[in-house]
Amino acid sequence: MNDDNNILVDGFRRLIADTVTPARVREVEETLSPASLWEALHASGFLDMLVPEDAGGAGLMLPDIFPLLLVLGEYAVPVPFAETMVARGMLSARGVSAPEDALIVLAPASATLPFGKLVTHALVARDDGLHLVEAQGKGDDIFGAAGALGLTSGASVGRVPGSSDDLMIGAAAVASAQMAGAMSRMLEMTLRHAGERAQFGRPLGKFQAIQQQIAVLAEQVISCQVAARTAFSGTSFDPVRVAAAKCRAGEASNLVCGISHAVHGAIGATAEFDLQLYSRRLKQWQLAFGSQQYWATRLGMARAAPGNPNTADFLRRNLAWEIVS
Amino acid sequence: MTLSVENFPAAVLPPHAEALRQEVKAFIAEHAGALPAHQRARSWSGFDVGFSRALAARGWVGLTVPVEYGGPGLDPYCRFVLVEELLAAGAPVAAHWIGDRQSAPLLLHYGTEEQRRTFLPGICKGELFFCIGMSEPNSGSDLASVRTRAEKTEGGWRLNGQKIWTTYAHKSHYMIALVRTSGTSEDRQNGLSQFLVDLSLPGVTVNPIALGTGDADFNEVFFEDVLLPADSLVGEEGNGWKQVNAELAFERSGPERIYSSLVLLDLWAQLLGPTPDPADAARLGKLVARLAPLREMSVSMTALLAAGKSPLTEAALFKDMGTEVEQQIPEEIADAVAARPDFVPDAELMRTLAYIMQASHVFSLRGGTREILRGMIARGLGLR
Ligand SMILES: Cc1cc2nc3c(=O)[nH]c(=O)nc-3n(C[C@H](O)[C@H](O)[C@H](O)COP(=O)(O)OP(=O)(O)OC[C@H]3O[C@@H](n4cnc5c(N)ncnc54)[C@H](O)[C@@H]3O)c2cc1C
Repeated sequence: MNDDNNILVDGFRRLIADTVTPARVREVEETLSPASLWEALHASGFLDMLVPEDAGGAGLMLPDIFPLLLVLGEYAVPVPFAETMVARGMLSARGVSAPEDALIVLAPASATLPFGKLVTHALVARDDGLHLVEAQGKGDDIFGAAGALGLTSGASVGRVPGSSDDLMIGAAAVASAQMAGAMSRMLEMTLRHAGERAQFGRPLGKFQAIQQQIAVLAEQVISCQVAARTAFSGTSFDPVRVAAAKCRAGEASNLVCGISHAVHGAIGATAEFDLQLYSRRLKQWQLAFGSQQYWATRLGMARAAPGNPNTADFLRRNLAWEIVS
Repeated sequence: MTLSVENFPAAVLPPHAEALRQEVKAFIAEHAGALPAHQRARSWSGFDVGFSRALAARGWVGLTVPVEYGGPGLDPYCRFVLVEELLAAGAPVAAHWIGDRQSAPLLLHYGTEEQRRTFLPGICKGELFFCIGMSEPNSGSDLASVRTRAEKTEGGWRLNGQKIWTTYAHKSHYMIALVRTSGTSEDRQNGLSQFLVDLSLPGVTVNPIALGTGDADFNEVFFEDVLLPADSLVGEEGNGWKQVNAELAFERSGPERIYSSLVLLDLWAQLLGPTPDPADAARLGKLVARLAPLREMSVSMTALLAAGKSPLTEAALFKDMGTEVEQQIPEEIADAVAARPDFVPDAELMRTLAYIMQASHVFSLRGGTREILRGMIARGLGLR
């Protein structure tokens, strides 16, 4: 990462840390009214990171925004900021601009729809391409994280070429990056707790059993971060790279939630403590945009397809970091 | 302190390294293409002097050794490509493996000019094979407790003690041994030194140890008043612990920590054909998803090593996860193959599977056990 990008990420992190406090997260979850938070974030200009420069955006690429999505995950940002950023990028690449104050999600077929209760618009697939439609979440918010089970969609306000699978791949990629961010925060919280909480006269982190568990936690987090980073390399989302990222994120969430909650003990599950803000989101994302099994099957089919002499060749050709020239 | 994706900067193999790949593939097809899968599955445990010599004749043993010492002087990226292809194909690399991976870099870094001139050309020609003498009967994970001892004599050293689990000591010319040169086991990391031990010297006895798989890869090695010349000390006296640890970053970061079960995986994938049933595809995909970020991490560490860094904690994290996938591959395939009792599986698949099912226990032991690696990660996280 170059210096410009570091400055960008640092600035973004400060903005999010200042704006999206845990109290703010809880407030949005309870009231389901994102307006004031959205206003603050929208004013930052970060929503147009992927919008081309000649259309008034920053003209950045996927690898540039990946660290921003990690930050969104790390702070459990309770609004579809990443989703709107990516949707605006997809639309503007085809000369379509989204309504200025739209909260947008990518809405392929999915068992749950994170942020569904907050959206004004959604990108949906129809026979003639992807439409930006007015939309409202429907069904229960089963994780209490402003999610929905589906959408009631209205009029189309814009159309770009694309398939339902493009939507699925984009939504899964955006989820994977935020999941990796959320997991890294859970690791950080677990390390802090293990250092502070003492039992039997020692901090928990001094017990070898706990150390070994946290080592596994760290492994899983890094594996997901690396897989997601690769999914954000190149110029567009690639189904194979995204499949690996979402498959990993789905699988690792079990271990990451399991270990971090175990190390926290009872307090980690309480409403007052922040850990559950993250684990609730991870669980919701596990159910969104295809599970581990779904993406594993797709990835396995891709590996089995003719033209791949061996797995090492497959990894190198399809699952390695791609430089944008 | 924490560990994150920042510890593994995104890296790619540069074009000059990728340029080597097709040549390597062609070479392997010619020299190891005919081996059956259950033999190729031995991966970096497969010992074949003929293959190593042919590879050396091609200039591909000791790839990173500078030209002045008889190597081609290529960089770690080229070595990654070479090793990746050799392992993916299951080429029998064991004869030159340790010398190439560990002894040559060690001698380059810590050896005297004379040691380099004496040993490196032989390694690069595929004529000198090395083994690693670290473990002892009472010193496994607790390596700093080794008791084999070298005492200064007039003009050299006198070596006494015992090493164990020494892979291919019975077919190697030299061992690089970690031994005590001062103090006692209580002094732990202090007072340890590394020596080049000529295994043909009087007083050296090598006894193979049979494995449950029927292979006999490793040995016990006894030293009884073995007289070593003064110039067999590698690096500084008393600096052995630090030198060994530098070696371990090389030993734990390479593709051999994720590819040990690849021949099995690829044979199974080939038999599944282009349209596997969804349950098998999901198993295959899950394994590929775990492997993918690991390969990225290995490439990243290659870049770190090329830049002169020593990513020890990173390598521990990578190796622990890598060997876990290597063990999951036979588990998944065994479960898949026997899920349909009425289906007669391919005989070569069964031979290969049976071998890896038995051999995979040791994947997470050799080169440092799971618990030790996790302890290192915990230290990297600031917990110890
Ligand atoms: C195939 C193979 C090839 C090998 N080749 C070589 C070689 O060429 N040269 C060489 O020197 N060695 C070699 N080894 C030895 C290898 O390095 C050792 O097996 C390894 O270091 C573990 O030592 P150990 O077997 O004595 O087990 P032990 O150290 O006795 O460990 C047994 C178990 O106890 C656990 N344990 C130990 N200490 C702790 C602790 N403090 N906390 C928690 N758990 C602990 C370990 O993790 C392990 O699960 C080889 C081993 C294998 C399997």
